[in-house]
Amino acid sequence: MIRRPLRPLARILKARERGENPDSIARENLRLRHEEMRDKARNRAEGRLLVLGMTFFLAFSMIGARMGALANMPAQEPRSTASGSPIIGQRADITDRNGRLLATNFETYALYAQPPQMIDPARAAHELVAIFPELNEERLLRDFTGERRFLWVRRQISPEQMQAVHDIGDPGLLFGPREMRLYPNGSLAAHILGGASYGREGVDSAEVIGVAGVERQFDAFLRDPANEGAPLELSIDLTVQAAMEQVLHGGMVMMNAKGATAIIMDVHTGEILAMASLPDFDPNSRPAVLTTGDQSDSPLFNRAVQGVYELGSVFKVFAVAQAIELGLANAQTMVDTRGPMTWGRFRIRDFRNYGAALSATDIIVKSSNIGTARLALMVGIDRQRAFLERLGFLAPTTVEMVEAPTGAPLLPRQWSEISLMTISYGHGLSVSPLHLAAGYASLLNGGTRVQPTLLRQDGPQNGERIVSEEVSATMRAMLRQVVTRGTASFAEVAGYEVGGKTGTADKPRPTGGYYPDKVIATFAGVFPTSAPRYVIIVTLDEPVETSGAEPRRTAGWTAVPVAAEMIRRTAPLLGLRPVIETSDLAGVTLTSN
Amino acid sequence: MSYLEYNVKYVPSGLRKLLYVNWPIVMLITAVASFGFLMLYSVAGGDASAWMAPQMKRFGVGMVLMLIVAMVPIWFWRNMAALAYVISLALLVAVEFVGSTGMGAQRWIDLGFIRLQPSELMKIGMVMFLAAYYDWLPVKKASHPFWVLLPLVFIALPTMLVLTQPDLGTALLLVIGGGTVMFLAGVHWAYFGTVIAGGASAVYAVLQSRGTDWQLLKDYQFRRIDTFLDPANDPLGAGYHITQAKIALGSGGWTGRGFMQGTQSRLNFLPEKQTDFIFTSLAEEFGFVGAITLLVLYALIIFFCIASAMTNKDRFASLLTLGVAMTFFLYFAVNMAMVMGLAPVVGVPLPLVSYGGSAMLVLLLGFGLMQSAHVHKPR
Repeated sequence: MIRRPLRPLARILKARERGENPDSIARENLRLRHEEMRDKARNRAEGRLLVLGMTFFLAFSMIGARMGALANMPAQEPRSTASGSPIIGQRADITDRNGRLLATNFETYALYAQPPQMIDPARAAHELVAIFPELNEERLLRDFTGERRFLWVRRQISPEQMQAVHDIGDPGLLFGPREMRLYPNGSLAAHILGGASYGREGVDSAEVIGVAGVERQFDAFLRDPANEGAPLELSIDLTVQAAMEQVLHGGMVMMNAKGATAIIMDVHTGEILAMASLPDFDPNSRPAVLTTGDQSDSPLFNRAVQGVYELGSVFKVFAVAQAIELGLANAQTMVDTRGPMTWGRFRIRDFRNYGAALSATDIIVKSSNIGTARLALMVGIDRQRAFLERLGFLAPTTVEMVEAPTGAPLLPRQWSEISLMTISYGHGLSVSPLHLAAGYASLLNGGTRVQPTLLRQDGPQNGERIVSEEVSATMRAMLRQVVTRGTASFAEVAGYEVGGKTGTADKPRPTGGYYPDKVIATFAGVFPTSAPRYVIIVTLDEPVETSGAEPRRTAGWTAVPVAAEMIRRTAPLLGLRPVIETSDLAGVTLTSN
Repeated sequence: MSYLEYNVKYVPSGLRKLLYVNWPIVMLITAVASFGFLMLYSVAGGDASAWMAPQMKRFGVGMVLMLIVAMVPIWFWRNMAALAYVISLALLVAVEFVGSTGMGAQRWIDLGFIRLQPSELMKIGMVMFLAAYYDWLPVKKASHPFWVLLPLVFIALPTMLVLTQPDLGTALLLVIGGGTVMFLAGVHWAYFGTVIAGGASAVYAVLQSRGTDWQLLKDYQFRRIDTFLDPANDPLGAGYHITQAKIALGSGGWTGRGFMQGTQSRLNFLPEKQTDFIFTSLAEEFGFVGAITLLVLYALIIFFCIASAMTNKDRFASLLTLGVAMTFFLYFAVNMAMVMGLAPVVGVPLPLVSYGGSAMLVLLLGFGLMQSAHVHKPR
């Protein structure tokens, strides 16, 4: 940098010559130098100022643009809670086959407290107890005045309670929206539906998860937002279910049974139209799981699906049907029924002595253990086992309930000849009533296998062939005769051609052997027998009918009347019309004769 | 006097000084404050006594104070600059000390008629001090490392004290305000480039370290960053202000709902509706037109400040004027950005509009200094 000299010698000498004061030259040069410096500083400062001005301009433009963008935004109504999505993907409804609600959702609120925001904890606690008497005022006050910053007061409150809490007016008491699973029919179809409960829980929403039954089985489907609220359609008919449960409950009380279960199933589609297990519960408030004792005594226990029992004589139809199917016998074949039948250490007895021989039909009609066992011996172990396997008796049912796998049949450890014989009349193999319903449907619908299902079906299943159509018809005719002249005479319901088989099985002791006075009484029926539509299973646990001189426990006196009443009530609901039965021509006497 | 000798031809004296006050700025300030009075009236639900009346009283006191400051020659203020800085610093320490001995979280000193926050006073004190520092420092030395380090220490001291309060907003304003004065005084570009690059890489490093073993911030601090970037993450927590403010701005639309018709703030959805978030009420009631009007008023104030600084040959005077303008701008910009979701919620009031005495008084004092520079500039 070349600096301007303050006192340039040439100029000073010239000035001296002219007699001027050289200091003025120095002053002038100093001023010029200062001005130069100032200009330089000013230039730089102006550059900096320009940058600053640009920054201001940019900032103002950005803010202005943002304002414009926000002003251009579609107007939003102010909300007190900006909780975003209110509840993530409402759980889908569950309906019966006709679209009637079985399970739906209800908007409710949970009450929580934020003690640091409370104005008057003492008053709030006092008034809360007035609204919810089950709360403990001291404990509440302790929570409200302690260290806690957050606590749940009540998980679900009614609108009235919410208003009352609102009226307390404490800012520390807050509400969080809750989706609540509601079963409007109460305990109806309780075991099928199962129930729901809360999973992860937040202030704004809580996750509803299925805990049992179809709620659990179809949890993923019910929660899937992709279904767009499409309900889960079950095969259940609500009216039939209601009528059935009513009758079953009455029957259980009348027959002094400790439990009962019933199933009505479509023989062609495998659809379960109604299924109940007593005692039951209200899925809106599921009882706690038993912590001691036998889980099968809990109301949560589904006897129809989870309960496996030796169901007794109802199994005889399978042995007889197989014998006929294999050509080893026909309906008229006479079978030796002399008793007691001894096989090794075992003796097989009949309820009473049926004489020397019975036809295959009468073995069913009169329920002869000996006759069935002899037919089973003709069939043989392997073929019986294969036949029962094809009918689904050796594996858990495939019904769409989480509980289904727990209803695994109890098989004999060794399928010996004794097992062969006892299984033929329903002992030694424990299955669930639902197994039985599916087995009866498969055998009697014309002979094709059906799997039980709780979902509405569009048509018949047309499964694997079990027996020929003729054998199926023969078996239906036999079952019809059980009702008209056999052990299930109480099952006659005029116009519906009920056929069925009774089964009274002694209950096994846990320690081995059987109780002398505890039975499982079962009626397994089909109606109408000429054109089969429905299978009905009624099972009573430890029934005692005491109207007579001595207590009666057989199915004919206990399960059958209940089943008859059930058919009488539900057949019209199922759309069946009473038919005038075509009886055997032999019985008709023409007046002209 | 300055290191530059300039020809001072005329400096007004006595009551004549009033003629040389920068009246456009006074009128603009009054206009902005009046906007504030309207809004305070409105958010109080039509109650003048709640916030509007005290605010007007404070504004009146502040204006008188401003004019008194303006009448005092600028060279007096330059001589007082160091003292002002030291006093502000002492008050900051005092508040820290008093606060730590059981006064709770209050960060103000009660002067009787007003509660003064030393951190607010510091904003002006620091601008004054730095302007005087660069006035005293020969221009050639401005970029010398030692003479750069010194003002950095002057900025760092009060910033640290404010950060411990903790008040991130004020700390930010102090740093940027001080930095601006240094920038305008001609400190070499490289320093600012280094600081900006360093800051950016630090932010980048912090963000990149997330989820690794050596992450630099705690998880909850990262969540705060997340909330800032996407308020919907935590709509009832920290994101609440921002979400609600955006809704208010959006519902105002272009022309607004009309005076006293705002719902968002009236229905108490917004916290701090009379202080930091008053702009949302304004935007809702007067819409984009009202908001942009306020924006223009602010821009004009800053424009007049820059114009005054540019015509002022005195280094201290022009640096002080620009420093005050920058402080004013920062209040406004940070508040706006915060309200509109461009910046995190740091608690900075909208200057001259938000309810509250400290910020208004300090700003009017600042404008008093600016006016003093304007009145006493060599003509």
